[in-house]
Amino acid sequence: MSATVQNQAIAPKVLDVLEQITGTDQVRRDLDLALFEQNILDSLGLVELIVALSDAFGVEIFPAEIERSEWATPRQIIASVEKRVRV
Amino acid sequence: MDLIERIDEWARAAPEHLAHVSRERTLTYGELARRSAALAAWLLRALPDDRAPIAVQGHKEPEMLIAFLGAVKAGHPYIPIDVTTPPARVERIVATARAPLTLTPARVAAIVAEAGDAAPDPVHRVAANDPFYIIFTSGSTGEPKGVVITLACLTSFLDWMLAEQRLVEQRETFLNQAPFSFDLSVMDTYLSLATGGTLFSIDKDDIANPAQLYRALTHSNATVWVSTPSFAQMCLVEKTFSAAMLPRVRRFLFCGETLAPEVAAALLDRFPDAQVWNTYGPTETTVATTSVRIDGETLTRYRPLPVGYAKPDSRVVVLDEDGRVAVNGERGEIVIAGPNVSPGYISRPDLTAKAFFTLYGMPAYHTGDWGYFQNGLLFYEGRRDQQVKLHGHRIELGDVEANLQALPGVRDGVVLVKMKDGAPDSLAAFVILNDHSADSEFEISRALKNRMAERLPVYMIPRKFHFLSAFPMTANGKADRKKLAEMLA
Repeated sequence: MSATVQNQAIAPKVLDVLEQITGTDQVRRDLDLALFEQNILDSLGLVELIVALSDAFGVEIFPAEIERSEWATPRQIIASVEKRVRV
Repeated sequence: MDLIERIDEWARAAPEHLAHVSRERTLTYGELARRSAALAAWLLRALPDDRAPIAVQGHKEPEMLIAFLGAVKAGHPYIPIDVTTPPARVERIVATARAPLTLTPARVAAIVAEAGDAAPDPVHRVAANDPFYIIFTSGSTGEPKGVVITLACLTSFLDWMLAEQRLVEQRETFLNQAPFSFDLSVMDTYLSLATGGTLFSIDKDDIANPAQLYRALTHSNATVWVSTPSFAQMCLVEKTFSAAMLPRVRRFLFCGETLAPEVAAALLDRFPDAQVWNTYGPTETTVATTSVRIDGETLTRYRPLPVGYAKPDSRVVVLDEDGRVAVNGERGEIVIAGPNVSPGYISRPDLTAKAFFTLYGMPAYHTGDWGYFQNGLLFYEGRRDQQVKLHGHRIELGDVEANLQALPGVRDGVVLVKMKDGAPDSLAAFVILNDHSADSEFEISRALKNRMAERLPVYMIPRKFHFLSAFPMTANGKADRKKLAEMLA
Protein backbone atom coordinates (compact mmCIF):
# COMPACT_ATOMS: atom_id res chain seq x y z
CA MET A 1 0.00 0.00 0.00
CA SER A 2 1.43 3.39 -0.89
CA ALA A 3 1.79 6.00 1.80
CA THR A 4 -0.87 8.16 0.15
CA VAL A 5 -3.47 5.40 0.06
CA GLN A 6 -2.63 4.47 3.64
CA ASN A 7 -2.99 8.08 4.80
CA GLN A 8 -6.31 8.35 3.04
CA ALA A 9 -7.49 5.36 5.03
CA ILE A 10 -6.27 6.75 8.33
CA ALA A 11 -7.92 10.16 8.27
CA PRO A 12 -11.55 9.00 7.94
CA LYS A 13 -11.05 6.46 10.70
CA VAL A 14 -9.52 9.07 13.03
CA LEU A 15 -12.42 11.39 12.27
CA ASP A 16 -14.91 8.59 12.96
CA VAL A 17 -13.39 8.09 16.40
CA LEU A 18 -13.13 11.81 17.05
CA GLU A 19 -16.76 12.34 16.13
CA GLN A 20 -17.79 9.50 18.40
CA ILE A 21 -15.87 10.93 21.36
CA THR A 22 -16.84 14.56 20.86
CA GLY A 23 -20.38 13.86 19.68
CA THR A 24 -20.14 16.44 16.92
CA ASP A 25 -19.53 16.12 13.19
CA GLN A 26 -18.04 19.59 13.24
CA VAL A 27 -14.70 17.83 13.61
CA ARG A 28 -15.06 16.60 10.01
CA ARG A 29 -16.11 19.91 8.57
CA ASP A 30 -13.35 21.97 10.14
CA LEU A 31 -10.01 20.21 10.41
CA ASP A 32 -8.51 23.23 12.15
CA LEU A 33 -11.17 23.35 14.84
CA ALA A 34 -9.61 24.32 18.19
CA LEU A 35 -10.91 21.36 20.16
CA PHE A 36 -9.88 22.50 23.63
CA GLU A 37 -10.47 26.21 23.24
CA GLN A 38 -13.94 25.49 21.92
CA ASN A 39 -14.61 23.15 24.86
CA ILE A 40 -15.21 20.26 22.47
CA LEU A 41 -12.59 18.13 24.14
CA ASP A 42 -11.42 18.23 27.74
CA SER A 43 -8.69 16.41 29.62
CA LEU A 44 -10.77 13.30 30.17
CA GLY A 45 -12.04 13.40 26.58
CA LEU A 46 -8.46 13.50 25.40
CA VAL A 47 -7.59 10.42 27.46
CA GLU A 48 -10.69 8.70 26.10
CA LEU A 49 -9.67 9.64 22.56
CA ILE A 50 -6.19 8.23 23.10
CA VAL A 51 -7.64 4.93 24.27
CA ALA A 52 -10.15 4.78 21.40
CA LEU A 53 -7.51 5.56 18.75
CA SER A 54 -5.15 2.96 20.24
CA ASP A 55 -7.93 0.40 19.90
CA ALA A 56 -9.01 1.49 16.43
CA PHE A 57 -5.52 1.34 14.93
CA GLY A 58 -4.04 -1.41 17.06
CA VAL A 59 -1.13 0.78 18.09
CA GLU A 60 -0.06 1.72 21.56
CA ILE A 61 -0.39 5.44 22.23
CA PHE A 62 0.94 6.46 25.63
CA PRO A 63 -0.86 9.39 27.27
CA ALA A 64 2.46 10.40 28.83
CA GLU A 65 3.77 11.12 25.31
CA ILE A 66 0.87 13.35 24.33
CA GLU A 67 1.50 17.08 24.34
CA ARG A 68 -1.87 18.74 24.16
CA SER A 69 -0.53 21.47 21.90
CA GLU A 70 0.18 18.78 19.30
CA TRP A 71 -3.32 17.32 19.60
CA ALA A 72 -5.27 20.56 19.51
CA THR A 73 -7.08 20.19 16.15
CA PRO A 74 -8.47 17.31 14.07
CA ARG A 75 -5.69 17.89 11.51
CA GLN A 76 -2.99 17.62 14.18
CA ILE A 77 -4.55 14.47 15.60
CA ILE A 78 -4.67 12.83 12.15
CA ALA A 79 -1.01 13.73 11.59
CA SER A 80 -0.08 12.36 14.99
CA VAL A 81 -1.86 9.05 14.39
CA GLU A 82 -0.38 8.76 10.88
CA LYS A 83 3.08 9.16 12.34
CA ARG A 84 2.45 6.40 14.87
CA VAL A 85 0.79 4.02 12.43
CA ARG A 86 3.63 4.39 9.94
CA VAL A 87 6.31 3.63 12.52
CA MET B 1 -0.33 23.21 70.65
CA ASP B 2 -3.00 24.04 68.10
CA LEU B 3 -2.67 23.64 64.34
CA ILE B 4 -1.32 27.13 63.68
CA GLU B 5 1.20 26.88 66.50
CA ARG B 6 2.26 23.53 65.12
CA ILE B 7 2.86 24.94 61.64
CA ASP B 8 4.80 27.89 63.09
CA GLU B 9 6.81 25.43 65.16
CA TRP B 10 7.90 23.66 61.97
CA ALA B 11 8.91 27.07 60.64
CA ARG B 12 11.13 27.60 63.67
CA ALA B 13 12.58 24.08 63.57
CA ALA B 14 13.22 23.90 59.83
CA PRO B 15 12.62 27.29 58.16
CA GLU B 16 14.14 26.21 54.84
CA HIS B 17 12.08 23.04 54.51
CA LEU B 18 9.62 23.23 51.61
CA ALA B 19 6.01 23.66 52.67
CA HIS B 20 4.56 23.94 49.16
CA VAL B 21 5.63 23.28 45.59
CA SER B 22 3.48 24.46 42.74
CA ARG B 23 4.80 24.48 39.19
CA GLU B 24 8.20 26.14 39.38
CA ARG B 25 7.34 28.00 42.58
CA THR B 26 8.29 26.98 46.09
CA LEU B 27 7.38 28.20 49.55
CA THR B 28 9.42 27.32 52.63
CA TYR B 29 8.00 26.97 56.14
CA GLY B 30 9.89 30.09 57.14
CA GLU B 31 8.37 32.09 54.29
CA LEU B 32 4.90 30.73 55.01
CA ALA B 33 5.07 31.69 58.69
CA ARG B 34 6.56 35.13 58.08
CA ARG B 35 4.34 36.09 55.16
CA SER B 36 1.11 34.82 56.71
CA ALA B 37 1.92 36.79 59.88
CA ALA B 38 2.56 39.90 57.76
CA LEU B 39 -0.77 39.42 56.00
CA ALA B 40 -2.50 38.88 59.36
CA ALA B 41 -1.03 42.15 60.64
CA TRP B 42 -2.29 43.95 57.53
CA LEU B 43 -5.76 42.43 57.93
CA LEU B 44 -5.92 43.49 61.57
CA ARG B 45 -5.17 47.06 60.51
CA ALA B 46 -7.40 47.07 57.43
CA LEU B 47 -10.53 45.38 58.71
CA PRO B 48 -12.73 45.72 61.78
CA ASP B 49 -12.22 43.00 64.34
CA ASP B 50 -15.52 41.31 63.52
CA ARG B 51 -14.21 37.92 62.39
CA ALA B 52 -15.97 38.25 59.05
CA PRO B 53 -14.88 35.64 56.51
CA ILE B 54 -12.24 36.52 53.94
CA ALA B 55 -12.73 35.20 50.40
CA VAL B 56 -9.56 33.91 48.76
CA GLN B 57 -9.77 33.34 45.03
CA GLY B 58 -6.98 31.68 43.12
CA HIS B 59 -5.77 28.25 42.14
CA LYS B 60 -2.64 26.50 43.38
CA GLU B 61 -0.38 29.48 44.00
CA PRO B 62 1.74 29.56 47.20
CA GLU B 63 -0.11 32.77 48.09
CA MET B 64 -3.24 30.69 48.63
CA LEU B 65 -1.66 29.03 51.66
CA ILE B 66 -0.29 32.37 52.86
CA ALA B 67 -3.81 33.84 52.58
CA PHE B 68 -5.46 30.92 54.43
CA LEU B 69 -3.06 31.09 57.35
CA GLY B 70 -2.92 34.89 57.28
CA ALA B 71 -6.71 35.08 57.60
CA VAL B 72 -6.94 32.66 60.53
CA LYS B 73 -4.00 34.31 62.28
CA ALA B 74 -6.04 37.52 62.17
CA GLY B 75 -9.11 35.76 63.55
CA HIS B 76 -10.98 35.51 60.24
CA PRO B 77 -12.13 32.27 58.62
CA TYR B 78 -11.32 31.99 54.91
CA ILE B 79 -13.46 30.98 51.96
CA PRO B 80 -11.41 29.21 49.27
CA ILE B 81 -12.75 29.91 45.79
CA ASP B 82 -11.17 28.39 42.72
CA VAL B 83 -10.14 30.68 39.88
CA THR B 84 -12.40 28.73 37.51
CA THR B 85 -15.54 29.73 39.44
CA PRO B 86 -17.79 31.92 37.28
CA PRO B 87 -17.90 35.55 38.48
CA ALA B 88 -21.64 35.46 39.08
CA ARG B 89 -21.24 32.54 41.44
CA VAL B 90 -18.34 34.22 43.23
CA GLU B 91 -20.59 37.24 43.76
CA ARG B 92 -23.29 35.07 45.30
CA ILE B 93 -20.76 33.38 47.59
CA VAL B 94 -19.29 36.68 48.74
CA ALA B 95 -22.78 38.13 49.28
CA THR B 96 -24.04 35.10 51.19
CA ALA B 97 -20.98 35.06 53.45
CA ARG B 98 -20.90 38.87 53.74
CA ALA B 99 -17.17 38.72 53.07
CA PRO B 100 -15.69 42.24 53.21
CA LEU B 101 -12.63 41.34 51.16
CA THR B 102 -11.61 38.99 48.36
CA LEU B 103 -7.89 38.28 48.27
CA THR B 104 -6.15 37.09 45.11
CA PRO B 105 -2.60 35.73 44.86
CA ALA B 106 -1.45 39.02 43.30
CA ARG B 107 -3.00 41.06 46.11
CA VAL B 108 -1.47 38.81 48.76
CA ALA B 109 1.94 39.09 47.10
CA ALA B 110 1.66 42.89 47.02
CA ILE B 111 0.61 43.15 50.68
CA VAL B 112 3.40 40.85 51.81
CA ALA B 113 5.99 42.66 49.67
CA GLU B 114 4.97 45.97 51.19
CA ALA B 115 5.37 44.58 54.70
CA GLY B 116 8.95 43.59 53.89
CA ASP B 117 10.92 41.97 56.68
CA ALA B 118 9.41 44.14 59.39
CA ALA B 119 8.45 42.27 62.53
CA PRO B 120 4.77 41.41 62.24
CA ASP B 121 2.17 42.65 64.67
CA PRO B 122 0.94 40.26 67.34
CA VAL B 123 -1.52 37.82 65.82
CA HIS B 124 -5.09 37.34 66.91
CA ARG B 125 -5.89 33.80 65.88
CA VAL B 126 -9.10 31.86 65.59
CA ALA B 127 -9.98 29.95 68.77
CA ALA B 128 -11.10 26.32 68.88
CA ASN B 129 -14.78 26.99 68.37
CA ASP B 130 -14.31 29.80 65.86
CA PRO B 131 -14.88 29.17 62.16
CA PHE B 132 -11.60 28.21 60.44
CA TYR B 133 -12.77 27.86 56.85
CA ILE B 134 -16.04 28.01 54.96
CA ILE B 135 -16.41 25.86 51.88
CA PHE B 136 -19.26 26.50 49.50
CA THR B 137 -20.98 23.55 47.91
CA SER B 138 -23.82 23.44 45.44
CA GLY B 139 -27.25 23.45 47.00
CA SER B 140 -30.20 21.51 45.73
CA THR B 141 -31.94 24.76 44.82
CA GLY B 142 -28.96 26.00 42.81
CA GLU B 143 -27.81 28.51 45.44
CA PRO B 144 -24.37 27.65 46.80
CA LYS B 145 -24.34 27.04 50.53
CA GLY B 146 -21.37 27.69 52.78
CA VAL B 147 -20.35 24.94 55.20
CA VAL B 148 -18.71 26.41 58.30
CA ILE B 149 -15.85 24.34 59.72
CA THR B 150 -14.36 25.35 63.05
CA LEU B 151 -10.80 24.80 64.21
CA ALA B 152 -12.19 22.17 66.60
CA CYS B 153 -13.82 20.29 63.67
CA LEU B 154 -10.57 20.40 61.71
CA THR B 155 -8.52 19.32 64.73
CA SER B 156 -10.82 16.36 65.32
CA PHE B 157 -10.34 15.24 61.71
CA LEU B 158 -6.58 15.79 61.69
CA ASP B 159 -5.89 14.11 65.03
CA TRP B 160 -7.69 11.00 63.82
CA MET B 161 -5.91 10.86 60.48
CA LEU B 162 -2.51 11.53 62.05
CA ALA B 163 -3.00 8.71 64.54
CA GLU B 164 -4.23 6.30 61.89
CA GLN B 165 -1.90 7.02 59.01
CA ARG B 166 1.37 7.01 60.95
CA LEU B 167 3.00 9.65 58.81
CA VAL B 168 6.69 10.38 59.22
CA GLU B 169 7.28 13.96 60.30
CA GLN B 170 9.21 16.13 57.84
CA ARG B 171 9.60 13.23 55.46
CA GLU B 172 6.33 13.09 53.54
CA THR B 173 5.40 14.74 50.28
CA PHE B 174 1.64 14.96 49.72
CA LEU B 175 0.11 15.09 46.28
CA ASN B 176 -2.51 17.83 46.11
CA GLN B 177 -4.86 17.20 43.20
CA ALA B 178 -8.12 18.78 44.34
CA PRO B 179 -8.62 22.53 44.09
CA PHE B 180 -8.51 24.28 47.46
CA SER B 181 -12.23 25.02 47.10
CA PHE B 182 -12.93 21.28 47.41
CA ASP B 183 -12.56 19.98 50.96
CA LEU B 184 -10.61 16.93 49.82
CA SER B 185 -7.67 19.36 49.60
CA VAL B 186 -7.96 19.94 53.36
CA MET B 187 -6.76 16.37 53.80
CA ASP B 188 -3.49 16.81 51.91
CA THR B 189 -2.89 20.46 52.86
CA TYR B 190 -3.23 20.20 56.62
CA LEU B 191 -1.89 16.68 57.04
CA SER B 192 1.18 17.98 55.27
CA LEU B 193 1.51 21.23 57.21
CA ALA B 194 0.80 19.51 60.54
CA THR B 195 3.61 17.02 59.98
CA GLY B 196 6.15 19.42 58.51
CA GLY B 197 5.70 17.77 55.12
CA THR B 198 5.76 19.17 51.60
CA LEU B 199 2.59 19.78 49.64
CA PHE B 200 3.04 19.19 45.91
CA SER B 201 0.24 20.74 43.87
CA ILE B 202 -0.91 19.50 40.50
CA ASP B 203 -2.72 22.35 38.78
CA LYS B 204 -5.47 22.53 36.19
CA ASP B 205 -3.02 23.01 33.32
CA ASP B 206 -1.15 19.86 34.34
CA ILE B 207 -4.40 17.92 34.37
CA ALA B 208 -5.34 19.30 30.94
CA ASN B 209 -2.12 18.12 29.29
CA PRO B 210 -1.30 14.41 29.64
CA ALA B 211 2.46 14.66 28.99
CA GLN B 212 2.73 17.56 31.42
CA LEU B 213 0.70 15.71 34.04
CA TYR B 214 2.90 12.64 34.00
CA ARG B 215 6.04 14.80 34.01
CA ALA B 216 4.70 16.60 37.07
CA LEU B 217 3.86 13.32 38.79
CA THR B 218 7.32 11.96 38.01
CA HIS B 219 8.92 15.03 39.57
CA SER B 220 6.60 15.15 42.56
CA ASN B 221 8.46 12.59 44.70
CA ALA B 222 5.07 12.06 46.34
CA THR B 223 4.89 9.67 49.27
CA VAL B 224 1.19 10.21 50.04
CA TRP B 225 -1.26 10.36 47.15
CA VAL B 226 -4.51 12.20 47.92
CA SER B 227 -7.09 12.41 45.14
CA THR B 228 -10.53 11.45 43.96
CA PRO B 229 -10.79 7.91 42.60
CA SER B 230 -11.66 9.39 39.17
CA PHE B 231 -8.30 11.12 38.98
CA ALA B 232 -6.42 7.94 39.82
CA GLN B 233 -8.52 6.08 37.28
CA MET B 234 -7.54 8.60 34.62
CA CYS B 235 -3.86 8.26 35.54
CA LEU B 236 -4.09 4.47 35.30
CA VAL B 237 -4.81 4.71 31.56
CA GLU B 238 -1.09 5.34 31.16
CA LYS B 239 0.65 2.01 31.48
CA THR B 240 3.84 3.51 32.90
CA PHE B 241 1.85 4.99 35.81
CA SER B 242 3.33 2.69 38.42
CA ALA B 243 5.93 2.41 41.16
CA ALA B 244 8.55 3.07 38.48
CA MET B 245 7.06 6.54 37.96
CA LEU B 246 6.33 7.23 41.63
CA PRO B 247 8.76 5.04 43.58
CA ARG B 248 8.23 6.73 46.95
CA VAL B 249 4.42 6.47 47.13
CA ARG B 250 3.38 4.50 50.21
CA ARG B 251 -0.23 5.57 50.59
CA PHE B 252 -3.18 6.33 48.36
CA LEU B 253 -5.90 8.18 50.25
CA PHE B 254 -9.23 8.47 48.47
CA CYS B 255 -12.30 10.50 49.26
CA GLY B 256 -15.07 12.34 47.47
CA GLU B 257 -16.74 9.54 45.52
CA THR B 258 -17.09 5.79 45.22
CA LEU B 259 -13.83 3.89 44.90
CA ALA B 260 -14.25 1.20 42.25
CA PRO B 261 -12.69 -2.16 43.24
CA GLU B 262 -10.89 -2.30 39.90
CA VAL B 263 -9.16 1.01 40.54
CA ALA B 264 -8.00 -0.18 43.97
CA ALA B 265 -6.88 -3.52 42.51
CA ALA B 266 -4.92 -1.86 39.71
CA LEU B 267 -3.16 0.43 42.19
CA LEU B 268 -2.24 -2.44 44.49
CA ASP B 269 -0.88 -4.29 41.48
CA ARG B 270 1.16 -1.40 40.10
CA PHE B 271 2.28 -0.06 43.48
CA PRO B 272 3.04 -3.19 45.49
CA ASP B 273 4.64 -1.25 48.37
CA ALA B 274 1.73 1.16 48.81
CA GLN B 275 -1.42 1.02 50.91
CA VAL B 276 -4.79 2.01 49.48
CA TRP B 277 -7.29 3.70 51.81
CA ASN B 278 -10.91 4.51 51.16
CA THR B 279 -12.48 7.28 53.22
CA TYR B 280 -15.93 8.77 53.35
CA GLY B 281 -17.65 11.87 54.63
CA PRO B 282 -19.51 14.94 53.43
CA THR B 283 -18.05 18.45 53.61
CA GLU B 284 -20.40 19.10 56.56
CA THR B 285 -18.49 16.62 58.73
CA THR B 286 -14.98 17.84 57.80
CA VAL B 287 -13.54 15.94 54.87
CA ALA B 288 -13.96 12.35 56.10
CA THR B 289 -15.40 10.48 59.07
CA THR B 290 -14.80 6.86 58.13
CA SER B 291 -11.84 5.03 56.65
CA VAL B 292 -10.66 1.56 55.79
CA ARG B 293 -7.56 0.11 54.25
CA ILE B 294 -8.36 -1.72 51.03
CA ASP B 295 -6.12 -4.76 50.76
CA GLY B 296 -6.35 -7.97 48.78
CA GLU B 297 -8.65 -9.58 51.32
CA THR B 298 -11.07 -6.64 51.37
CA LEU B 299 -11.12 -6.69 47.58
CA THR B 300 -11.95 -10.37 47.52
CA ARG B 301 -14.57 -10.14 50.21
CA TYR B 302 -16.58 -7.01 49.41
CA ARG B 303 -18.24 -5.67 46.29
CA PRO B 304 -18.88 -2.75 46.44
CA LEU B 305 -15.97 -1.70 48.60
CA PRO B 306 -16.71 -0.50 52.13
CA VAL B 307 -16.12 3.14 53.03
CA GLY B 308 -14.82 2.24 56.46
CA TYR B 309 -15.07 2.43 60.22
CA ALA B 310 -16.03 5.59 62.07
CA LYS B 311 -13.29 7.67 63.64
CA PRO B 312 -13.12 7.01 67.40
CA ASP B 313 -14.62 10.27 68.69
CA SER B 314 -17.58 10.18 66.29
CA ARG B 315 -20.69 8.06 65.92
CA VAL B 316 -21.95 6.97 62.53
CA VAL B 317 -25.36 5.36 62.40
CA VAL B 318 -27.80 4.32 59.73
CA LEU B 319 -31.37 5.40 60.38
CA ASP B 320 -34.35 3.66 58.81
CA GLU B 321 -37.39 5.47 57.42
CA ASP B 322 -38.86 5.78 60.90
CA GLY B 323 -35.69 7.33 62.31
CA ARG B 324 -34.68 4.19 64.20
CA VAL B 325 -31.15 2.85 64.14
CA ALA B 326 -31.09 0.22 61.42
CA VAL B 327 -29.93 -3.30 62.15
CA ASN B 328 -26.84 -4.80 60.55
CA GLY B 329 -27.29 -5.01 56.79
CA GLU B 330 -30.43 -2.86 56.76
CA ARG B 331 -30.37 0.11 54.47
CA GLY B 332 -31.05 3.64 55.64
CA GLU B 333 -29.78 7.18 55.80
CA ILE B 334 -26.25 7.68 57.09
CA VAL B 335 -26.13 10.07 60.05
CA ILE B 336 -22.88 11.37 61.49
CA ALA B 337 -22.44 12.75 65.02
CA GLY B 338 -19.26 14.05 66.58
CA PRO B 339 -16.91 16.96 67.16
CA ASN B 340 -16.14 17.07 63.44
CA VAL B 341 -19.72 18.05 62.55
CA SER B 342 -20.10 21.60 61.23
CA PRO B 343 -22.15 24.14 63.20
CA GLY B 344 -24.13 24.71 59.98
CA TYR B 345 -24.43 26.77 56.81
CA ILE B 346 -23.46 30.42 56.91
CA SER B 347 -26.40 32.82 56.72
CA ARG B 348 -28.81 29.93 56.16
CA PRO B 349 -30.47 29.01 59.47
CA ASP B 350 -33.29 27.38 57.49
CA LEU B 351 -30.99 24.88 55.76
CA THR B 352 -29.02 24.38 58.98
CA ALA B 353 -32.16 23.51 60.95
CA LYS B 354 -33.16 20.93 58.33
CA ALA B 355 -29.87 19.08 58.18
CA PHE B 356 -28.29 19.46 61.63
CA PHE B 357 -29.51 18.19 64.97
CA THR B 358 -28.22 16.64 68.21
CA LEU B 359 -27.57 12.94 68.67
CA TYR B 360 -25.88 11.22 71.62
CA GLY B 361 -25.29 14.70 73.00
CA MET B 362 -23.15 15.64 70.01
CA PRO B 363 -23.79 17.78 66.96
CA ALA B 364 -25.12 15.55 64.18
CA TYR B 365 -25.77 15.78 60.46
CA HIS B 366 -28.25 14.08 58.13
CA THR B 367 -25.99 13.21 55.19
CA GLY B 368 -28.74 12.41 52.71
CA ASP B 369 -26.62 9.40 51.77
CA TRP B 370 -27.93 5.86 51.74
CA GLY B 371 -25.85 3.20 53.39
CA TYR B 372 -25.73 0.12 55.53
CA PHE B 373 -23.42 -1.59 57.97
CA GLN B 374 -21.94 -5.03 57.48
CA ASN B 375 -19.44 -6.50 59.95
CA GLY B 376 -19.02 -3.06 61.50
CA LEU B 377 -18.07 -1.57 58.14
CA LEU B 378 -20.07 1.20 56.54
CA PHE B 379 -21.12 0.84 52.90
CA TYR B 380 -22.31 3.77 50.79
CA GLU B 381 -25.25 3.28 48.46
CA GLY B 382 -25.86 6.59 46.76
CA ARG B 383 -27.79 9.76 47.41
CA ARG B 384 -31.26 10.07 48.83
CA ASP B 385 -32.02 13.06 46.69
CA GLN B 386 -31.46 11.42 43.31
CA GLN B 387 -34.89 9.99 43.57
CA VAL B 388 -36.81 10.20 40.32
CA LYS B 389 -40.30 9.38 39.17
CA LEU B 390 -40.41 7.59 35.86
CA HIS B 391 -43.78 6.76 34.40
CA GLY B 392 -45.15 6.67 37.92
CA HIS B 393 -42.41 4.48 39.35
CA ARG B 394 -40.32 5.86 42.19
CA ILE B 395 -36.65 5.13 41.45
CA GLU B 396 -33.44 5.94 43.28
CA LEU B 397 -30.75 6.44 40.67
CA GLY B 398 -28.19 5.49 43.34
CA ASP B 399 -29.87 2.15 43.66
CA VAL B 400 -29.67 1.47 39.90
CA GLU B 401 -26.06 2.64 39.87
CA ALA B 402 -25.07 0.43 42.79
CA ASN B 403 -26.53 -2.58 41.02
CA LEU B 404 -24.86 -1.66 37.75
CA GLN B 405 -21.50 -1.05 39.44
CA ALA B 406 -21.72 -4.41 41.17
CA LEU B 407 -21.85 -6.31 37.86
CA PRO B 408 -18.76 -8.24 36.84
CA GLY B 409 -16.85 -6.43 34.12
CA VAL B 410 -18.20 -3.02 35.10
CA ARG B 411 -15.58 -0.67 36.50
CA ASP B 412 -17.92 2.25 37.08
CA GLY B 413 -21.37 3.38 36.10
CA VAL B 414 -23.51 6.49 36.25
CA VAL B 415 -27.25 6.40 35.61
CA LEU B 416 -29.22 9.45 34.52
CA VAL B 417 -32.74 10.19 33.38
CA LYS B 418 -33.15 10.95 29.70
CA MET B 419 -35.72 13.67 29.12
CA LYS B 420 -38.07 13.90 26.17
CA ASP B 421 -40.29 16.90 25.56
CA GLY B 422 -39.51 18.13 29.05
CA ALA B 423 -40.52 14.94 30.83
CA PRO B 424 -38.50 12.00 32.12
CA ASP B 425 -38.46 9.39 29.35
CA SER B 426 -36.10 6.59 30.27
CA LEU B 427 -32.97 5.72 32.18
CA ALA B 428 -29.61 5.91 30.47
CA ALA B 429 -26.41 4.38 31.79
CA PHE B 430 -22.85 5.50 31.25
CA VAL B 431 -20.50 2.62 31.78
CA ILE B 432 -16.77 2.13 32.06
CA LEU B 433 -15.87 -1.50 31.43
CA ASN B 434 -12.86 -3.21 32.96
CA ASP B 435 -11.59 -4.62 29.70
CA HIS B 436 -12.13 -4.01 26.06
CA SER B 437 -14.54 -6.63 24.82
CA ALA B 438 -14.59 -8.20 21.40
CA ASP B 439 -18.39 -8.05 21.52
CA SER B 440 -20.29 -5.20 19.94
CA GLU B 441 -21.76 -2.49 22.17
CA PHE B 442 -25.17 -3.87 21.31
CA GLU B 443 -24.18 -7.29 22.62
CA ILE B 444 -22.58 -5.89 25.78
CA SER B 445 -25.67 -3.76 26.47
CA ARG B 446 -27.89 -6.78 26.09
CA ALA B 447 -25.80 -8.81 28.51
CA LEU B 448 -25.78 -6.01 31.10
CA LYS B 449 -29.56 -5.59 30.83
CA ASN B 450 -30.05 -9.29 31.42
CA ARG B 451 -27.78 -9.22 34.47
CA MET B 452 -29.49 -6.15 35.91
CA ALA B 453 -32.88 -7.76 35.36
CA GLU B 454 -31.73 -10.35 37.84
CA ARG B 455 -31.45 -7.70 40.52
CA LEU B 456 -34.01 -5.02 39.69
CA PRO B 457 -37.60 -4.63 38.47
CA VAL B 458 -37.75 -4.07 34.74
CA TYR B 459 -38.68 -0.40 35.03
CA MET B 460 -35.33 0.21 36.74
CA ILE B 461 -33.28 -1.17 33.84
CA PRO B 462 -31.59 1.54 31.74
CA ARG B 463 -32.79 1.58 28.17
CA LYS B 464 -29.58 2.82 26.63
CA PHE B 465 -25.98 2.11 27.58
CA HIS B 466 -23.17 4.44 26.61
CA PHE B 467 -19.64 3.11 26.93
CA LEU B 468 -16.79 5.39 27.93
CA SER B 469 -13.18 4.81 28.89
CA ALA B 470 -13.40 7.57 31.51
CA PHE B 471 -16.03 9.97 32.82
CA PRO B 472 -15.80 13.71 32.35
CA MET B 473 -14.87 15.19 35.71
CA THR B 474 -15.99 18.25 37.59
CA ALA B 475 -13.46 20.79 38.75
CA ASN B 476 -13.46 18.83 41.99
CA GLY B 477 -12.52 15.62 40.24
CA LYS B 478 -15.84 13.88 40.56
CA ALA B 479 -17.73 12.25 37.71
CA ASP B 480 -19.48 15.18 36.05
CA ARG B 481 -23.15 14.19 35.89
CA LYS B 482 -24.07 17.46 34.24
CA LYS B 483 -21.73 16.85 31.34
CA LEU B 484 -22.96 13.28 31.06
CA ALA B 485 -26.53 14.59 30.93
CA GLU B 486 -25.52 16.98 28.16
CA MET B 487 -24.25 13.99 26.21
CA LEU B 488 -27.78 12.59 26.36
CA ALA B 489 -29.39 15.75 25.00
